Amino acid sequence: MTALSVPARREEDASLRPVPWRRMGWVTWRQHRATLAWVIAFLGAAAVLVYLAGRQVYSAHAAAIAACQSASSLTCPGSIIAFNGTNGFLSNGFMLQAIPPLLGAFVGAPLLARELETGTFRYAWTQAFGRWRWTLAKLVPLAVVLATAAGVFSLMLNWYYQPYFVAGNQNLSLTETTPFFPGLFDLRGIGFAAWTLAAFAIGALAGLLIRRVVPAIVATLVAYAALAFAAGGFLRQHYLTPLVTSNLNLPGSAWIISQWWTKGGKFAFSGWPPDRLLQQYCPNGPSGPVGPFGKSKPVAIAECLTPHGYTQWTAYQPASRFWAFQWIEAGWLLVLSVLLIAATVWLVRRRAT
Amino acid sequence: MDIDKGISAEPRRPAGASPIEFRLDPASGVPTYLQLVHQVEHALRLGYLKPGDQLPKVRDVVAALAINPNTVLKAYKELETKGLAAGRPGQGTFVRATLSQVALPELSGLRRSLLGWLADAGTAGLDEDGVVALFTSVLRDFYKRRGGEADRGAASGETEGVA
Amino acid sequence: MNVIEASELGRRYGSTWALRDCTVAIPAGHVAALVGPNGAGKTTLLNLAAGLAAPSAGDVTVLGGQPAGSPVALDGIAFVAQDTPMYKNLSARDMLHLTRNLNRRFDQQYAESRLDELGIPLKRKAGKLSGGQQAQLALTLALARRPRLLVLDEPMAMLDPVARHDFMASVMMAMAADGVSVVLSSHVLSELERVADYLVLMSRGRVQLAGEIDDLLASHRLLTGPAAEADRYAERLSVVHARRGEAQAHLLVRATADEPVPSGWEAHPVGLEELALAYLREPAAAVLPGSRPDSARRRALRSETGQRTEVTK
Repeated sequence: MTALSVPARREEDASLRPVPWRRMGWVTWRQHRATLAWVIAFLGAAAVLVYLAGRQVYSAHAAAIAACQSASSLTCPGSIIAFNGTNGFLSNGFMLQAIPPLLGAFVGAPLLARELETGTFRYAWTQAFGRWRWTLAKLVPLAVVLATAAGVFSLMLNWYYQPYFVAGNQNLSLTETTPFFPGLFDLRGIGFAAWTLAAFAIGALAGLLIRRVVPAIVATLVAYAALAFAAGGFLRQHYLTPLVTSNLNLPGSAWIISQWWTKGGKFAFSGWPPDRLLQQYCPNGPSGPVGPFGKSKPVAIAECLTPHGYTQWTAYQPASRFWAFQWIEAGWLLVLSVLLIAATVWLVRRRAT
Repeated sequence: MDIDKGISAEPRRPAGASPIEFRLDPASGVPTYLQLVHQVEHALRLGYLKPGDQLPKVRDVVAALAINPNTVLKAYKELETKGLAAGRPGQGTFVRATLSQVALPELSGLRRSLLGWLADAGTAGLDEDGVVALFTSVLRDFYKRRGGEADRGAASGETEGVA
Repeated sequence: MNVIEASELGRRYGSTWALRDCTVAIPAGHVAALVGPNGAGKTTLLNLAAGLAAPSAGDVTVLGGQPAGSPVALDGIAFVAQDTPMYKNLSARDMLHLTRNLNRRFDQQYAESRLDELGIPLKRKAGKLSGGQQAQLALTLALARRPRLLVLDEPMAMLDPVARHDFMASVMMAMAADGVSVVLSSHVLSELERVADYLVLMSRGRVQLAGEIDDLLASHRLLTGPAAEADRYAERLSVVHARRGEAQAHLLVRATADEPVPSGWEAHPVGLEELALAYLREPAAAVLPGSRPDSARRRALRSETGQRTEVTK
C-alpha cells in the first residue's frame, strides 16, 4: 500500500528558542510513572508495616511504665523484657537502613543506564530538546519526588522510634538509645530523605559511567555503603567538637565517642582498663548490670579505680545536638547530591562537540 | 507499459490525472530517467499520450516507484529540451508536441515484413538470442551512421570505440 | 549548502580508528548513499554528523556550517539509528506525543494519517510491533519533525521488499514535497541505486569515493581488450581495477567519454555497482572529492598510493 500522506510545508524558523522546559514534564512522567508507582506502593506498604509494629512497641512501653510504677511490682521485670524484645529486628534500624540505597539505586541507576544499554539514547539525544537539558529535566524532578516521598515515610520512622528515646528509660532498665546510634540516626529527622537523595544522585552518575543497568545498580549500592560507613563511623562524630566530662553519670541518650583515664593529671590509659589494674583494684571483677548493648556499665569499674586516684574522662555528644547534626549531615549530603547531578549533566553534555 | 496498473492496485484516478503510468525495469541497465523519457516517447508514438495531456505528477511517480524526485525532474527536463513537453508552474508538466506517428496500415506492413525476416533468420539457424544480438548490433550501427544518440550515458553524446 | 561537511574527520575507539581522514561535502537537495562493507565507518560518520559522538580528529559541520550537535543542528536533523531504537513499553501514540514534546515542529496530523495508512495501530506498544513496523514508526516520527536533513542508518535491514518500497516511497515523497535532503547508509548498494544521486563509498574507515553519481559514472569507463597489452596501457591510464583472463582483460579506468580509446580496445560505460565493487576491491584506490561538487566542472582526479599518472582535463 502506498503512503500518500505528505508532511506539510515547513516555514523557515529563524528564531531558535530552546524547547520549553515544561515539555519534559510529560516525558519524565510518562517514562517513569511505573517506577514512581512502585516507589509509592513500596513505601506505603512499609509504612503500614511500621505502623503496625509501632503500635506494639507503644503498647509494650506503656505497659512497662505502668507495671514498674512501684518498685516491687511483680509484673515489672516481665514487661521490661517484653518491651526490650519487641520487634528486635527493627530495633537496631539496620533493615530500614537498606531502603535509601535501594530506592536510590533502583530509581537512579537505570535512568541513564537503560537509555545507553538499549540504545534509545540515539533517539532521545538527537531530538531538538538537547541532551543535557533532557538529562537535567529528568534528574531534578525525580530527585525531588523521591526525596520527598522518603521524607514523608521517615515521619513514620520518627514516630516508631520515639519510645526508645524517652528519658528515664534507663532508670527502669528499659532500652534507651542515643539518638546518634548509627543504625538509627539517619532514619530520623531529615537524614532519611537526604540519604535517599544522595543514593539517587550516586545512582544517576553510576548509570551514566557504567552504561549497563545491573552493574550500575550494584556499583551504586557499593558506593553508598562505603559512604554510609564512612559517615557513620568516622565523619559524624566530628561535626561538632565533642564535650568532655569527668562525670560518670552520663544519660543513656548521650553518644559516647571515647573514654580515657588520667591519674594525677597525666594520661593513664584509654578505653578498657588494662588487666593488671583490674586485678589489682577490682579483684572481684566489675559488678553491676550489663547495659543493653553489652557494655559493662562504666560506673561499676569507676567504683574500683576512682578511690585510687584515677579519673575517667568521656568525650561525648549530647542528645540535644541531634538536630544540629541532622542539619549538618543533610547539608553536606545535599551539596554532594547537587555536585553529583551537576557532574552527570556536565558529562552528558561533554560528549557532544 | 501498463495502463491503470501500478505496482499495487491504485484507487480510481481522480479527474485530471495523467493517462499514463510509469514503470521501471531495474535490471535493464538503462538509467532511470532515460527509461521515463523513453516511456513518454513510446506513449506518444502509440497514441496513449496526446498534446495537452498531463504527465504524471512528480509526487505520484515518486510514490509509485520510490525513485528520487530529482530523477523525475531530470526526465521531464530532458523532454522539455526535446520539445516534447512543457512545464506549467504550479500545475505540472504537459505534453506539447507529438512524435511523428506511424499510421496503422504502415505499422501492420512493417510488422509483416519483420515476421518474414524472423522466419528467414530461423531458417538460417539463428536462435532467439542470436537474432537479438544481430539486430542490436545492426541497429546500433544504423543509428550511429544516422548520428543519433546512444541509449546509454549522459545527455551529451558519447562515442564508443568499436572493435 | 552542504548538509554534511567533514574535514579530515576521524574517530578513534581505544587504539582503533573507526574513521580516518574523512573529507566529504554532501550537498543539499540530494539523496546521498553511504555505502561500504560492515565496519567501514558508515555508522561512525553518521553518529558524528548527528552529534552523538565527538571527533577524535578533524571536524564536521552540518546544514551549512553548523557544528554537529548544536541546537540548530539538532533541530534540523532527524536521525534514525540502526535497529530503530524505540521505547518498547510506550504505545505508538505515546511515541508521537513524546516526539512532539521534544521538538519545535511536529506534524501530528501527518504522523497519524501515515500510521493509519500503514496499518500501525496507535494503541499498540512499540515493542509489540514487527521489525518493519518499528522502522516505519521511526521514520514517521522523523519525517513529522519536518527536518531539513534526514539521516538513516541502515534503515531497511528489517524490511521485506514491499515494506522497503513503501519506506523509500515515503522518504522520496517527503523529499519531493518538503525539500528534505537525505543521507542514508547501507551495505547493500543495489537497493539504493534507484534513489541515490550522490555516493560516498567507504571502506575500512576511509572514504574511497565521493561525488554525484552521474559525475562518477561519467568519469569512469571499462576498457576491454587483449590481456597482453593490458600492462602496457595500464602505465598510461589511471586504472582503478583490472581483471584478466588468459586472452582478455577488463580495465576499469578513470577517464571520460571523450578521451581516445587505444585501438583494439572497446570502451563501455560503467554501472554503479560495478564501480563500487571495483573500488572496494582496491583498498588503495580513492578519489579525493572537491570541496564543492559541481557537475558542470570537471575536477582533477588524484590517486592515492600505488596508482598511476594523473588524468586531467
